[in-house]
Amino acid sequence: MPTRAPKVLVSEVSVTFESHGRSVLALDRISLQANAGEFLCIVGPSGSGKSTLLRVLAGLLRQSAGAVRIEADRPGTPLTAMVFQEHALLPWRTVRDNVTFGLENRGVPRAERDARAREMLAMVGLTRFARHYPHQLSGGMKQRVGIARALANDPEVLLMDEPLAALDAQTRTIMQEELLRIWATLGKTVVYVTHSLEEALLLGDRIVLLTSRPGRVSHVYPVDLGRPRGLEVRGSPAYGALLEKIWSQLRDEVLRAMAEDRGA
Amino acid sequence: MRALGRWLAEHWIAVGSPIVLLVVWERASATGLLREAFFPRPSTIVAHLRQLAADGTLWRHTAATLARIGWAFALAAVLGVGIGLAMGLWRRLREGLDPVFAVIYPIPSVLFLPLVSFLVPPGEIALVVTTAVTSFFLIAFTTTHGVRQIDRLVVEAAVHYGARGWRLFATVLLPGALPFIFTGLRLGLGFALIVVVAVEIVSASRGLGALLWLSWQILKVEDMYATFFVIALLGAVLSYGLAALRARLLPWVQDVAGRP
Amino acid sequence: MSLAVPAALLALWELCSRLAIISPRYFPPPTTVGWVLVDRVAAGDLGAQSLITLTRLAFAFALAALPGVILGLLMGVARPVRDAVEPYIAFIFPVPKIALLPFLLIILGVGEPAFVLTGATSAFFQIVISTLGGVQTMDPRLLEVGRNYGAHGPRLFWKVILPAALPAIFTGLRLGLGLALVALVAVEFIAAKSGLGHLVYRHWQMLSTPEMYAAFAIVGALGLVLTRGLQALQARVLTWQEDIGRV
Repeated sequence: MPTRAPKVLVSEVSVTFESHGRSVLALDRISLQANAGEFLCIVGPSGSGKSTLLRVLAGLLRQSAGAVRIEADRPGTPLTAMVFQEHALLPWRTVRDNVTFGLENRGVPRAERDARAREMLAMVGLTRFARHYPHQLSGGMKQRVGIARALANDPEVLLMDEPLAALDAQTRTIMQEELLRIWATLGKTVVYVTHSLEEALLLGDRIVLLTSRPGRVSHVYPVDLGRPRGLEVRGSPAYGALLEKIWSQLRDEVLRAMAEDRGA
Repeated sequence: MRALGRWLAEHWIAVGSPIVLLVVWERASATGLLREAFFPRPSTIVAHLRQLAADGTLWRHTAATLARIGWAFALAAVLGVGIGLAMGLWRRLREGLDPVFAVIYPIPSVLFLPLVSFLVPPGEIALVVTTAVTSFFLIAFTTTHGVRQIDRLVVEAAVHYGARGWRLFATVLLPGALPFIFTGLRLGLGFALIVVVAVEIVSASRGLGALLWLSWQILKVEDMYATFFVIALLGAVLSYGLAALRARLLPWVQDVAGRP
Repeated sequence: MSLAVPAALLALWELCSRLAIISPRYFPPPTTVGWVLVDRVAAGDLGAQSLITLTRLAFAFALAALPGVILGLLMGVARPVRDAVEPYIAFIFPVPKIALLPFLLIILGVGEPAFVLTGATSAFFQIVISTLGGVQTMDPRLLEVGRNYGAHGPRLFWKVILPAALPAIFTGLRLGLGLALVALVAVEFIAAKSGLGHLVYRHWQMLSTPEMYAAFAIVGALGLVLTRGLQALQARVLTWQEDIGRV
């Protein structure tokens, strides 16, 4: 059971972009929190700023207003590590060297780096491919390397930006199982962005629903589907009920976003 | 042996076509169908080639050309990659130099010979510097492009995982640009050959270009063909040799269309 | 394109030349070159020489363009043709086309045909290679779509293959024109008695440097106008193409 100490605290965060001389409000006073060891899912229509929010948490983007606070229990380890949607591996490095990239930059000695890489690659099932280059791997495998890279850094909080979106449905299902397994083993705090409600329900402890642009917190839903969780939960009536309930809310937002695209 | 056999079977037209051409040429020249004064027999050309090689003429001129190419390429490569990287990384510099480059690049290198001869001592140095000019622009240009085309997401991920400043440059920007830098170097080398032959024709007494022109002036047609063949060989080695090397040096790069 | 840096460089040159920091004999001030330029253009001979070069260019390009595109397309769609021709292309492409000049001078004599043909060969190989590349790298799914929707043989060629290869063909023509100009000016420098390239050579030999730089500037301007102008034209005509890419 996740404890009650907020690991990640987002207070009234707003993000404004300058685009072609106009200001675009991407996120509007977002407030949310993730507890230690919790798997928090963020769901919303396209343009709701989910990825933007994640980038703010990662420190890749400066918020225009508001504050972000991440509890650092272990000084010396990075606050966050992100798994990117399009894996974003360095094409000129082998799988192993991609996994140790973050460690290298922090000056971790070689022996320890290699040990961690071996451990992480084993965890994601890619031990045999340590010497391969990214272009030799399938999409699913590349994404697993991305996950290994993030985990190798042993961050306080794991950020995941629609990591399975670019995969085909079958690989995706397998990877969802993998994620459940890895998370159950490591117990990290995870902030997971996805546009798939089914995925959020399968993986998450709580779901934060964002509105269409500008993104605001619409609702927060606890997911009481028990732990440990497996794929079979998708057949349970509780799952179905939750899906029904949240989707009716999400659907309105998606339609609103589509209307905007149509040039409203 | 098997593999060779298979390769021949697939490429028999490509191999056969030049052979057929040479045979037809030999016959046509011998029987007078082609004017032998303009198109000497391949067998005669080969004989002259042998002669030039034997008495050292060929080697002397080839060495001169190679030396110039070597120096010019080194000059163009070092300056080109250096400035190209700088332009790729600093927008101000790029925007400032871009118009200058755009004006100078389309000018035929040979035309720089007068300018260069005003600036540096005449002779070898002038020839080498002139040869380096277009190659320099080519290499700088492709290097800049190489830096700028790196996937933004990859750079973002690298920054996120702690790469800053020098580390970012060495582990991300440089390797990311490397395939393009390599292509630029390869093209630059090919261009160096083109220009060196032209400048040798204009104002050198040694070198393959000079030999070619000299042979023309004294109307030794067979020697002209022989020299041309050597130039073509050199061109092929420089262009395609480096391309083959790429697979070794840059194992992560896949080829798009296959042609060098 | 910002003109600030070139303008600053020219100003620096002007200053250094006038103050004799650099030799005004070898590096006359840009204003002097400018006056000479205007003068020569007004007198008509700079214009006449430019016209000669441009005429040669036009002929060279005309000679190279159509055969080049046709051969490239043929090589693209007919494997045997490609196999037969490729060795020659691969052999000649890396050779400096200027090396062909002496041969052409012997066969055709010292005159326009030899000059124009040298320029034409420069363009020709580039056009063939670009066109071939355009056909080879087109999205194979477009072919599938074409066939699936009833386009076969000639129709497939005219309605799918040719349009798909058009951007690459255009780029090849553009590059070829640039290469032809470079080759022609180089030929004029070496062997001709007229044209912009020859002007640069003659004034170099006579050390009439302002005239030399003036001719130089025209060559540069010509090259610039051609490359940039054609790029703009390409963007206009091929509106569906995303990125032209430079050089």
